[in-house]
Amino acid sequence: MIITRRHLPRRTFLKGMGAAIALPMLDAMTPAFALPRAKQAPLRLAFTYVPNGITMADWTPKTAGPGFELPRILTPLVPFRRDTVIISGLAQRNGNALGDGPGDHARAAASYLTGVHPRKTAGADIQSGISVDQIAAQHLAAETRFASLELGCDDSRTVGNCDSGYSCAYTNSLAWRGPATPMPPETNPRLVFERLFGDIDTSLTPEARARRQRYRRSILDLVGDRTRQLSADLGASDRQKLDEYLSSIRDIEQRIEKAEQDLTGLTPPIDKPTGIPVLYADYVTLMFDLQLVAFQTDCTRVVTMMMGREGSMRTYPEIGVPDPHHPLTHHRGNQEWIERVTKVNSLHMELFAGFLTKLKATPDGDGSLLDHSMIVYGSGLSDGNRHTHEDLPVLIAGHGGGLTAGTHVVCAKDTPMTNLYLTLLDRMGLREDRLGDSTGRFEPVAGL
Amino acid sequence: MCSVVVRAFGASGALPEAAPDTLRPAQSASVLAAFETVVKPFMARHCYACHGNEKQKRDLNLESFTTAASLVEHGERWEMVVERLRGREMPPDDEPQPDERERQAVATWIARELSRIDRTTPPDPGRVTARRLNRAEYNNTVRDLLGVDLRPADDFPQDDSGYGFDNIGDVLSLSPALMEKYMSAADRVARTALFGPARTPPTLIRLRSEGRRVREVREFPGEYDVTGLSLPNAFHAIHRIPLDGEYIVRVFLGGLRPAGSEPISLALWVDEREVQTLVYDAEQTAAFEIDRQDFSGKTAEFRVKLAAGDRWVSVAIPRIYEGLPARYGGPNPSPRIVPPPEFRPPPNASPDRVAFLRTRFEETRAELAKIPMSGVRVNAVEIGGPYGHEPGPSRASLQRVYTCGHVGAAVPHAPACAARIMRSFVRRAFRRPVTTAEVAKYVRLVEEAQREERSLAEGLAVGIQAVLVSPDFLFRIERDRPGRSTAVPISQHELATRLSYFLWSSMPDAGLRRAASAGTLRNPAVLAAQVRRMLRDRKSRALAENFGGQWLQFRALESTTRDRERFPDFEDYLRFSMRRETMLFLEHLVREDRTILDSIDGRYSYLNERLARHYGIPGVSGPAFRRVDLTGSPRAGVLTHASVLTVSSYATRTSPVLRGKWILENLLNAPPPEPPPDVPNLDEKAIGTEVSLRAQLEEHRRNAICASCHRKMDPLGFGLENFDAVGAWRTMDGNFPIDASGSLPDGETFAGPEELRQILREQRDAFARGVTAKLLTYALGRGLERYDAKTVRTIAVRLPAQDYRFTALVLEIVRSLPFQHRRPAATASARASTTRGVRPSGAAPPSRAARAVQSSQPFRAAGGHR
Repeated sequence: MIITRRHLPRRTFLKGMGAAIALPMLDAMTPAFALPRAKQAPLRLAFTYVPNGITMADWTPKTAGPGFELPRILTPLVPFRRDTVIISGLAQRNGNALGDGPGDHARAAASYLTGVHPRKTAGADIQSGISVDQIAAQHLAAETRFASLELGCDDSRTVGNCDSGYSCAYTNSLAWRGPATPMPPETNPRLVFERLFGDIDTSLTPEARARRQRYRRSILDLVGDRTRQLSADLGASDRQKLDEYLSSIRDIEQRIEKAEQDLTGLTPPIDKPTGIPVLYADYVTLMFDLQLVAFQTDCTRVVTMMMGREGSMRTYPEIGVPDPHHPLTHHRGNQEWIERVTKVNSLHMELFAGFLTKLKATPDGDGSLLDHSMIVYGSGLSDGNRHTHEDLPVLIAGHGGGLTAGTHVVCAKDTPMTNLYLTLLDRMGLREDRLGDSTGRFEPVAGL
Repeated sequence: MCSVVVRAFGASGALPEAAPDTLRPAQSASVLAAFETVVKPFMARHCYACHGNEKQKRDLNLESFTTAASLVEHGERWEMVVERLRGREMPPDDEPQPDERERQAVATWIARELSRIDRTTPPDPGRVTARRLNRAEYNNTVRDLLGVDLRPADDFPQDDSGYGFDNIGDVLSLSPALMEKYMSAADRVARTALFGPARTPPTLIRLRSEGRRVREVREFPGEYDVTGLSLPNAFHAIHRIPLDGEYIVRVFLGGLRPAGSEPISLALWVDEREVQTLVYDAEQTAAFEIDRQDFSGKTAEFRVKLAAGDRWVSVAIPRIYEGLPARYGGPNPSPRIVPPPEFRPPPNASPDRVAFLRTRFEETRAELAKIPMSGVRVNAVEIGGPYGHEPGPSRASLQRVYTCGHVGAAVPHAPACAARIMRSFVRRAFRRPVTTAEVAKYVRLVEEAQREERSLAEGLAVGIQAVLVSPDFLFRIERDRPGRSTAVPISQHELATRLSYFLWSSMPDAGLRRAASAGTLRNPAVLAAQVRRMLRDRKSRALAENFGGQWLQFRALESTTRDRERFPDFEDYLRFSMRRETMLFLEHLVREDRTILDSIDGRYSYLNERLARHYGIPGVSGPAFRRVDLTGSPRAGVLTHASVLTVSSYATRTSPVLRGKWILENLLNAPPPEPPPDVPNLDEKAIGTEVSLRAQLEEHRRNAICASCHRKMDPLGFGLENFDAVGAWRTMDGNFPIDASGSLPDGETFAGPEELRQILREQRDAFARGVTAKLLTYALGRGLERYDAKTVRTIAVRLPAQDYRFTALVLEIVRSLPFQHRRPAATASARASTTRGVRPSGAAPPSRAARAVQSSQPFRAAGGHR
């Protein structure tokens, strides 16, 4: 028997064995982390994005270090003072025009997790860079059923170019699997649920279920072979499309292999949602709940969540803001409008705090889920009125990876946001040398 | 005024399929010399300061174009230079101006050389990248392939769009999340076709209806919509009914009605038809107050059979002003007697207390007298179900699957049936002839699963699922054929596929397949007959919806919001009606083969009562849409459709800039460039109160940089200023009367929408080129390149003789070089050097041996099995 509990992909295994197939299952093929709640609680990485910037005067604490007075927008964080770090001074300078003219909202979202200046196009050749969450996802892919989960709360049925000649792909997605492959978020809670737990067809016997899985694998083999054969004699652009197909097939194959052992014992901890809740607050809460159960059942360890797509036009009549969000942020100093923007910012923060409450109340390993998470909350713009990409609003919740919490950290002006990301990846145990415009590791100048 | 600008997007990195160098047209010595002695000195004097090595405004560096060869390489940029010079847009007004004759002479020289290059360049049909089926195409294809109308793709991630459309091969990507959906959709579709819809537990879904605001009415308004559908008291939503079956429609009521009112009726409408009514008497239910009817929290329930699909579900309160107490003066007043309220103080109350209670009683009475006539409303609707739906597969599905002819027959399936069924299915699914070896792989899958599950149907479910996730089904892949020419005809079946996805957003039907198999599809008479047949078919609705919805952008209505304070009328019923008007207009244009000029100034449209009221057109009653003659109204053509006027406005106000841009982009295909960075915004607060929008924009245009584009856009938009941001007619904007006049850069002036239409009508050649370019983009599924300009021009030139008929336009497109041909791939060596496929790490394709093992073994054994 093989002693190490390192997960050995079946496919590699079969290849090594040549034509010998009918072998009994080896212990090594059981993924070491597949069982819910392994002894050592894993670390989770998540990003929560709010669109159109934030009223910075009501966000940034007046003093650095611990013991600062919580500004208005951050007041919902009172119970989490010891679980959060506020960071000032970070920038995503590649969100700026740099000669490309208008389109700051598209660039804000596209650069947020990549640190890359996106190519200005509404057409074929979209290009940004790989995003920090996807780097983590690719490393952790073997550990969980889903490498990552992308969530959104704005219906993105939009036509054509979304922001001054930028493709909608830029404003809709934060996560980029590769420079030309955005990962569009799922916005329907029912579909998120089905994705997480949909493989469980409880009407079938375990044997029938196992057979179905086997058919699936055979299908994937068949179409995979076909694709490789087909792409051999196609032009480059056609082949690129089929490569996308092939790599997606492989992704599913890997997942099926992991799924077949651990799905039988898994019962979804929440009921299946029927659709999108009517009230925004309910909607967001449900999406956070899904994120929570995804972490709780260890379906994935990497999540990005957009509380609104960049440039969002959502209205918030339930809190006295009947105006669409984006035009409102172009307030040009109008106090009434600023007040409404702040209200929206505050609502977002309250909902986020609700999520933190649940994370903190969910036991995980030797502590709570919050203890084993790093959740970055923020926006790709600071001042939505002037489209500022510097001094971004950034907060990190959770104790994951031994973050020093409870303080307001200030770093050197225009420190790349990607420096922070590299540090977060370090804490995930992934040593990356560069990401987008990074210049090194994150180094605060004050507050620690 | 505006000539076609075919946007060239050829800058996407290494394009190995670019035309080989040898095909480049030669330039004579005199051309090379003229460039040196005339063009370059002119540009050095007037252009290089902003577009040279020092500064590159708009990323344009003319100084880098050092020889006449640049005319060949950067034709699209030079074409732009010609336009800017001819339109006297460059150099900008605040720079020294060249001698006008010199400016025009240089422009003409460049234009001539460009057209000479065009003439001598061999025709290039371009290469269309393999197109993944988009959501609409996937839904329609499984519907036509298997008779399964589940619309599974509605759950897929949003398709990316480029060049204005979401069927562009280059842009459509495939993420792992989508692949997962393909897997489960294929399973669902196959099982639905074979065994009927999956058991769906009844679910309750709350629908939303946005933007309504009930206005308080205290006096009978006279004439009103008795169906109540167009009043904000009604509820409208579009909801996907998953299966045929019975559903509960639960209605949540709200609002007040005076005490003594008669019961109200509630009417349930589905897709513009009244399907059920029920009577609801507020006084029959327990209420906290007896001096008014309070509907809040009250519910009523319909039980109704609904057919699967997207349904427009409405609940209205008909005859809302009837049955009220007589003092309201409404028709058919209530005979119910309301006892006058009586003041009865408690017997032991002190005089102070009595006085206090009397005051409060009087206040309450005064308050009650103010209860509006219009208070009761439908707050929300929930739909629960399905109940008692018919299990089992549909006849249509069985017929499409069991092509062996044994379904329902006395003869049971023969052993060869699996192979026969799969052969027919794979051929239809792949939209081309198939080889026996190709089908055999799927048949092996079927047989394996059939053995394991002891059922042919179970086996077929697996086989069909495999076909539905194979790249040959999900992508429309066109194969390169050997040929020397730069334009090789695509195959008959590829042509049939292009036709059917162009006109139907779906797979070819039997008729097209037959023509392709017979090899007659290129026969002009056959092709024309097929196109005419396809356009008359109901499936051509897809063209109105998918092409029209993106061309005129009315798809955007789904996500359009409006300031509720300023536009209380913009609720869902109006929004749905707007969309329907434009859809019907285009459907008729397509099916009845009308002239495309109708979209500029056709004096008819399709209206229901709601929209007719919005437009102020009398004599249209009821919710059904019908053709309405617009003679005598200021409306004609799509530009005055509320849908178009709304999507080209802001949430708070109209924008002549957006509308002008909309016209240039969508009707004249001459999109203005994006604004430069750091443009000042308009002072929104002042608009309409301190200064008119027009005056503000004129101020804006005083800036020479802004003016070069805005003097093209703004005047067009001003012509539509009589229509507000939701398309209603108006004569005042805030405190200022509307001035709908404009003067165009060429000096032509006009006043009002009618004269604007006349100008557009005069521009019908530009319009024809514009529509041609858009439709060609959609038909090909790729962005147009410079070499397509000739095709667009040729087609547009032939339209006037055919009265600009829609069918003529479609026929010209399907006969065109790029629609029928494909440029062969570049040489193998060129390809090898530019391979940049993204292979995930550690995922090299398996060895030949491993593949052989797998393919001879349809099911790899799982551990412990066998």
